[in-house]
Amino acid sequence: MSANPQAASPLARLAGAQAALPGGAAWAAWRGAALERLIAAGLPTPRDDAWKYTSLRLLARRELAPAPPRPVATGALAELPALAGPRLVFVDGRYHAALSSPRLPDGCRFTPFAARLAAESPQALGATLAGDAARIDERVRLLNASLAADGPSLELADGARPAEPVHLVHVATGGGAYPRTRVVLGAGASLELLEYHLTVGGGEAFVAAAGDYRLARGATLTHSSLQVAGDRTILLDDAAVVVGAGARYAHRLVALGGQLTRLDLRVALDGEGAGAELAGIFLADGAREQHLRTLVEHRSPHTASDQLYRGVAAGRGRGSYDGKVIVHPGAAKTESRQSSRNLLLGREAAIESRPQLEINADDVKCSHGATTGTLDEQMMFYLLARGLDRDTARALLTYAFVGDVLRRLAPAALRRAVEARVLGRLPAAELLREFVA
Amino acid sequence: MSDIGKGDVILEIRGLAVEVQGRRILEGLDLAVRAGEVHAIMGPNGAGKSTLSQVLAGRPDYDVRAGTVRYLGEDLLALPAEERARRGLFLGFQYPVEIPGVNNVYLLKAALNARRRQLGQPEVDAFEFLGLVRDKMRLMQMDESFLSRGVNEGFSGGEKKRNEILQMTVLEPVLAILDETDSGLDIDALKVVAHGVNSLRRDDRAVVLVTHNPRLLDHLVPARVLVLAGGRIHTSGDAGLALELARRGYDWVRAEAAAA
Repeated sequence: MSANPQAASPLARLAGAQAALPGGAAWAAWRGAALERLIAAGLPTPRDDAWKYTSLRLLARRELAPAPPRPVATGALAELPALAGPRLVFVDGRYHAALSSPRLPDGCRFTPFAARLAAESPQALGATLAGDAARIDERVRLLNASLAADGPSLELADGARPAEPVHLVHVATGGGAYPRTRVVLGAGASLELLEYHLTVGGGEAFVAAAGDYRLARGATLTHSSLQVAGDRTILLDDAAVVVGAGARYAHRLVALGGQLTRLDLRVALDGEGAGAELAGIFLADGAREQHLRTLVEHRSPHTASDQLYRGVAAGRGRGSYDGKVIVHPGAAKTESRQSSRNLLLGREAAIESRPQLEINADDVKCSHGATTGTLDEQMMFYLLARGLDRDTARALLTYAFVGDVLRRLAPAALRRAVEARVLGRLPAAELLREFVA
Repeated sequence: MSDIGKGDVILEIRGLAVEVQGRRILEGLDLAVRAGEVHAIMGPNGAGKSTLSQVLAGRPDYDVRAGTVRYLGEDLLALPAEERARRGLFLGFQYPVEIPGVNNVYLLKAALNARRRQLGQPEVDAFEFLGLVRDKMRLMQMDESFLSRGVNEGFSGGEKKRNEILQMTVLEPVLAILDETDSGLDIDALKVVAHGVNSLRRDDRAVVLVTHNPRLLDHLVPARVLVLAGGRIHTSGDAGLALELARRGYDWVRAEAAAA
């Protein structure tokens, strides 16, 4: 990490913003320490390996101070897919009771972070600053910690298995937002968690989100993240997941919006038989930038991970997949697969893909593959030779390209909603609907 | 019904020269195909049979250097591939491509509706279409599962060829060019494919069979057999020529073409 004096200036402004945040002295100290470390590290630059593909030069002119409370009409949520289940809404990182419908099932406890700020120390919430900073770039997490004042905290009791998904809705209205999420699943618990990032109003927004997810033995968490932020929103999201023995974590990324978005997803398979299945698409059209960075650590024997990502860039869009799998010593019988395929639809579009594998154990089965290319000429000719027009053929092949990821989306209502959104971004959408009916 | 009558010229090729990646493959090829006819274009491997098929279907990376191609009185080479298909020209591919995620039967429906729009006919609805395609699938002895699969996805070689012929029977083209549709088929599959092609034969349509295997012609008797060698039609004759090729092989054709 290298300090960058020019880029440090937006950070220095944040110290003033900290004073206005709620919480006692312990929290002030915690945030102060985070900002201090962040200022020492400096904002990431492309010279940092973890930020090779993501440029944060846009941050220099962005308002980072937390947005003041603004009224948000209920209609703002109309674009969310109509799905059953309790809904917890956070506007600019703060819990919004009027927009939420937090009737949670038995065994599931929700606390707005803010409600616990006064009573508990940061450590009690597990929001620790300790981390392997030497190996893991935690600057998004530090940025979040510097200004976090609220966010969802969900706990599922042992064996709790709510039938309906829980929805975490993050709404940005302009200015900074620093939601901090914590989800803890007890042994054998099972949850479908749907997370949304959207923007209301056309203002410039900056979101630095951080989440901690912990799955006890035998728990199952399906975590879908739908990024449909506005064209002037920068969204940095850092999720750290610890998967216990026999537990399963599934993550689905659907990145369709934003000016610049990035997800750092770190998954530790920390117990025998733990598994992670990560899949996602990004659709970087216009001048959008969408980046994804994954780190999967196999720390125990008989752990399995599977990654399936499809990226599409059109116009001047840019994207990246930077994924690393580390098999630690002793993690025998590990199985890991990484697939990153990317499609470029414009001469100025670009996608970088870097799957990496670090194996420090014997008797493991690991594979990885990455491709970036244009539409398949032979497929294109076949469709044209059957009388399809060019726009439809291109759109159809683009849609088919992301199809294997879309098919993994659950519940079905979410899949349909995402399919409709993806189709809506392609030409000849009406015709395509036939093909996927 | 079309206004094409038996004996009308459907396809007329004059002096066609084609380069593929800088290499001259076809060199002054002439060919006329009339309504009601079945032509067999034969020849050794590498003679340019597939190049001819692909050029007629409108493959963009094949470079036409000279010659004219008229199809139903129009300049075929001026039309993009999709326009040719809509005007009733069908290419049965030698190697049908797999397109996972694009539903086989919806592609066929979209293809049929593109053709019908061109003909000024109303589009078929899903119900009508399903009835039609089921009939044709019985003809081709194809399983119902073909309806829900991706285009050629996981199909065996024989299934891909049957799928091409299924598409052809649904689209009812004016001119069907079947590029090595018989290759890689066992004798039973060959009969099914031949049956599918025979079901299409009519006085207002024509079929061009591109093959190096005279066996297909046991089931599909062509009006004319044309032997392609050295980039042009080297010899032509009636169905008897195919028998001669079966007996003598292609070496004499190659030798004569090289000497010419």
